[in-house]
Amino acid sequence: MIAWIQFIVGALLISVGVVVLALSVFGVYRFNYVLNRMHAAAMGDTLGILMVLGGLIVMSGFTAVSFKLLLTIVMLWLTSPVSSHLIGRLEIHTNEKLDRHLKEVKH
Amino acid sequence: MARLKSNYESSAWARFLRWMKNGSGRMERDMVRSLEAEALPNGRSEERQQAIDSAREEREKRDRDNERAILDKLQSWSARRGSRLVRYAYRFAAVAICLAVIYVLLIAVSEEPMFGQADNPVNNEVSARYIEKGVQETGAVNIVGGMILDYRAFDTLGESHVLFIAACSVLLLLRMNLDKNGRPTREKLDAEADDRKYEPHNDVILQKVSNLIVPCLLLFGIYVVLNGHLSAGGGFSGGAIMGAALILYVNAHGLTKAGKHKLFGATVFKYVTFCALAFYALAKSYSFFMGANHLDSHIPLGTPGNLLSAGLILPLNIAVGAVVAWTMYSFYTLFRKGDF
Repeated sequence: MIAWIQFIVGALLISVGVVVLALSVFGVYRFNYVLNRMHAAAMGDTLGILMVLGGLIVMSGFTAVSFKLLLTIVMLWLTSPVSSHLIGRLEIHTNEKLDRHLKEVKH
Repeated sequence: MARLKSNYESSAWARFLRWMKNGSGRMERDMVRSLEAEALPNGRSEERQQAIDSAREEREKRDRDNERAILDKLQSWSARRGSRLVRYAYRFAAVAICLAVIYVLLIAVSEEPMFGQADNPVNNEVSARYIEKGVQETGAVNIVGGMILDYRAFDTLGESHVLFIAACSVLLLLRMNLDKNGRPTREKLDAEADDRKYEPHNDVILQKVSNLIVPCLLLFGIYVVLNGHLSAGGGFSGGAIMGAALILYVNAHGLTKAGKHKLFGATVFKYVTFCALAFYALAKSYSFFMGANHLDSHIPLGTPGNLLSAGLILPLNIAVGAVVAWTMYSFYTLFRKGDF
């Protein structure tokens, strides 16, 4: 019974994660500008990875494998947002025609 | 080479070259020269000089005009017909070469034996021996580690030397703008400042995260190096991880802070790589001296699976890891126009 619940929850998490990853890939190819693309890619790098690896953790239970998966999640959550931040910062610093890409937000 | 100069002047090739050079203007030039010769005896010296000069100018101008006209004609022809011709020929040649290469590759693939057959050439006595007696002979549980650092260690020695030589040539090429005292010149400093204009300076987020991650990465790299004979990994991969960690540290904190650690200067780099490679070469020559098959090398193999086992593989892994890590770091800092 518990094994079945584990399997169903894990499969749900993994499928949601795969959907998120697919959306992020779609966004990366759909958007044209760096910052927009970064927004789409960051979604897959954080939420999608969390969902997929979390599903695997739930499936494998309390083992050494799940601890390694947890470490992988921590590593990716530490590094991926930082690299996106650096890319965005570089774009802001170097793009001279930044205004063309930024729309004014009306409150 | 042995041909004499007088022979060369009258040879067909030299005549052809002369004809190419002088072209059709030669006859005219002869005529002009004969006219000049006729005009010579009568005039005074200044007039004569003037006449010669003007004749030469005229001649040169005519030559230039001729040349330009020919070039224009050629260009217009190539713009109209030639480029189309070349384009068609190019396309045809590209498709033909592609088809030929595809044909050759398909033939080669169809000639190969099926995957996974027992009598394939790869399943010969060499790989059988590696698999059956590898652990017993090398003491390494990781068969790949045993192969690259024991059976085929000479090959790995060459690879490490390739890295060393590459790093040395980069050092030679990129550490140029130094004055007599070994300090960088003004130009070099200006160029570096220009290069770093858009670098993120003291990015707090990056610094904090790299402070967290770099020690873990270094530990992981050391683990991979030390466990090269026990699990997947070894000197090259572990050294690459350590080098990447060091590069991350430099990116986050800048070269000035990282450069304070003299551990990563050019001098230490030279000593470490030299010592590692010399140790490697000595260890390898020792094992060659002892019969080159490690059976009687008098180095205890230990129990396979322990950390201190597998004879020379562990120290050789450490040497290779040091070379790779330092080389990666030095490449990065040198190409970044850093003060290495």
